[in-house]
Amino acid sequence: MSEIHGRQARSGRPTSAADVASRKLSAREVVGSIGPGVITGGADNDPSGITSYSIVGATAGFAQNWLLLLSTPMLIVVIEMSARVANVTKSDLATLLRTTFGRAVATPAVLLMVVPSVITMGADLLAMAAAFQLLTGIRYIYSVVPMAALMALVTIFLDYRVVSRYLLWLVGFLGMYIVAAFLAKPDWLDVARSTLVPQVSLTPDYFLAAVAMLGTTITPYLFFWQTSGEVEERRGVQQLSRAKVDIAAGAVWSNVTAFFVIVATGAVLYSHHAHIRTAGDAARALEPFAGHYATTIFAIGIIGAGLLAIPVLAAASAYGVAGLAGWRRGLGRNPKNAPQFYIVIGLSFLVAMELAVSSIDPVKALFYSQVLNGLAAPVIIVLVLLLTSSRKLMGDFVNSTLTNVIGWATAVVMVLADLALVFQVAAKGLPA
Amino acid sequence: MNRKEGVRTRLDAWWDDVLAGETDEPHPIHGDRIAVRLDGERLVLSGTLDTQEERDAVVRQARARIGRGFGQVDHSKLAVVDRHEKKGLLEQTLVAAYPDRSTAELARKFVLEHSQVKPRQDAIIDRAGHPRLREMLPGDYAGDARARLAGGDALLILTVDETAAFKVRQLLEEETRSTWTVAVPPQVIR
Repeated sequence: MSEIHGRQARSGRPTSAADVASRKLSAREVVGSIGPGVITGGADNDPSGITSYSIVGATAGFAQNWLLLLSTPMLIVVIEMSARVANVTKSDLATLLRTTFGRAVATPAVLLMVVPSVITMGADLLAMAAAFQLLTGIRYIYSVVPMAALMALVTIFLDYRVVSRYLLWLVGFLGMYIVAAFLAKPDWLDVARSTLVPQVSLTPDYFLAAVAMLGTTITPYLFFWQTSGEVEERRGVQQLSRAKVDIAAGAVWSNVTAFFVIVATGAVLYSHHAHIRTAGDAARALEPFAGHYATTIFAIGIIGAGLLAIPVLAAASAYGVAGLAGWRRGLGRNPKNAPQFYIVIGLSFLVAMELAVSSIDPVKALFYSQVLNGLAAPVIIVLVLLLTSSRKLMGDFVNSTLTNVIGWATAVVMVLADLALVFQVAAKGLPA
Repeated sequence: MNRKEGVRTRLDAWWDDVLAGETDEPHPIHGDRIAVRLDGERLVLSGTLDTQEERDAVVRQARARIGRGFGQVDHSKLAVVDRHEKKGLLEQTLVAAYPDRSTAELARKFVLEHSQVKPRQDAIIDRAGHPRLREMLPGDYAGDARARLAGGDALLILTVDETAAFKVRQLLEEETRSTWTVAVPPQVIR
């Protein structure tokens, strides 16, 4: 590589396309790299995610922190692969699956993303409504429909990419968990040990939580959203260095928040053998920091996370379906000029709303939607790995050995967690 | 009518629609990336364009129509995206399949008019033995292209600057409804 750079320097021109993409960024360029990756990372901590992490902290303490550490490079690699394949091929994931593997593979793959995404939307809506109930006292069931309608209108009639940059500040409220975790005075030695040393407990509860945690972190919609985001941003391969910074920042922020949610809930709830049955229970993890305001801060954070994530889930579903069908698509488009794309968004909201109002237990719905994501994600990861490992498709931008190792390890870890869950549930039944 | 005249005619027709109150129609070149609305005496332009030249051209076209239903142009919400990629470094070849040669020719005309891109190379090929097939496409892609041609398709092949490839692929796929579109990985321009 140094020889190539030497030749490049002498001639003043790059010798390969990869040379153009691999230039070093200045500090100013690093700061200016914020784009779809940070929004992806922000949306990854949706209300279902925060609730799942809270349940993991409350039921398993810090025992699964190692999975979060393990999933950070995995999350970065899978999102980076998605961004790279989009910038090289100039195409979103659904279209690529259709043109590369045919509809027989692309259709089930898109369904594997759309179904869990819409269920997660329903669960997120419930969580937002429950948070709204904490703030106002209005029973959650009455705020589901107005909230869904408001978000559908914003997604369809406003430029969501502009709106989302403001919503990221609301999600900043979840940063309160970092302070709360410190004020809860956990046993930091125990936190460090459980983060660095894997601990596995052979129970259905443990594997259910593990699959939910991995499914919360590495979610099928991420791949579709990231590729479509790159296509709309039109950064191209010359901007891959910037995209990597953007993605790493989003993924690290997402997992750092998740880590402190678990530490805070583990320290406050697990140590007192408390369980999470309502949104109010989950908010209690913030009490060491916020006292009586814990509920308010938790509710604002959850509502902000939902406002950011739900349109992303709806849009990812619409990108998937539109890419599969070859329809016009894009959140930057006028609804009149991409009607089918926006109809899919509208339908996603309708189905999610229906799921939300008919669901019995909001917290269980949130948790099991993440389990479903955990079951679907490995299939999409394998397809993305096959695309990004293809020299024909990627040319100079084919996966490095390290990316392949981490990418395949991600798929294997998720499949093993899924198999272990199935085995444990078959042997001991579904946890209560 | 040459390509420049074609574009001018489409732009004039679009501005006529806007002045008649049809502000939802996509711009002939920039699509939904720009929006226009009439606010009393003001014509308000908004959106994001790729270059300052594109922005200047849109503002110039709007100003040329002052007096036709509006008295001033507000372009404060029309931004230029902060682009860092350079033209002239990389090129990318895109291949799109159509049921016959005449559809491919129409698609070519449409894409070149709407993208304002000057392709570095372009061809329409409707027989497998065409000498430009091997010249324009690497081996793997030439094989795929031959399979399409054997099925009766005509292929539109465009080699464009990598910075324009997103736009061209979107037009090929979403506007001309090609039955199959692929992009050869970007290459350094020799």
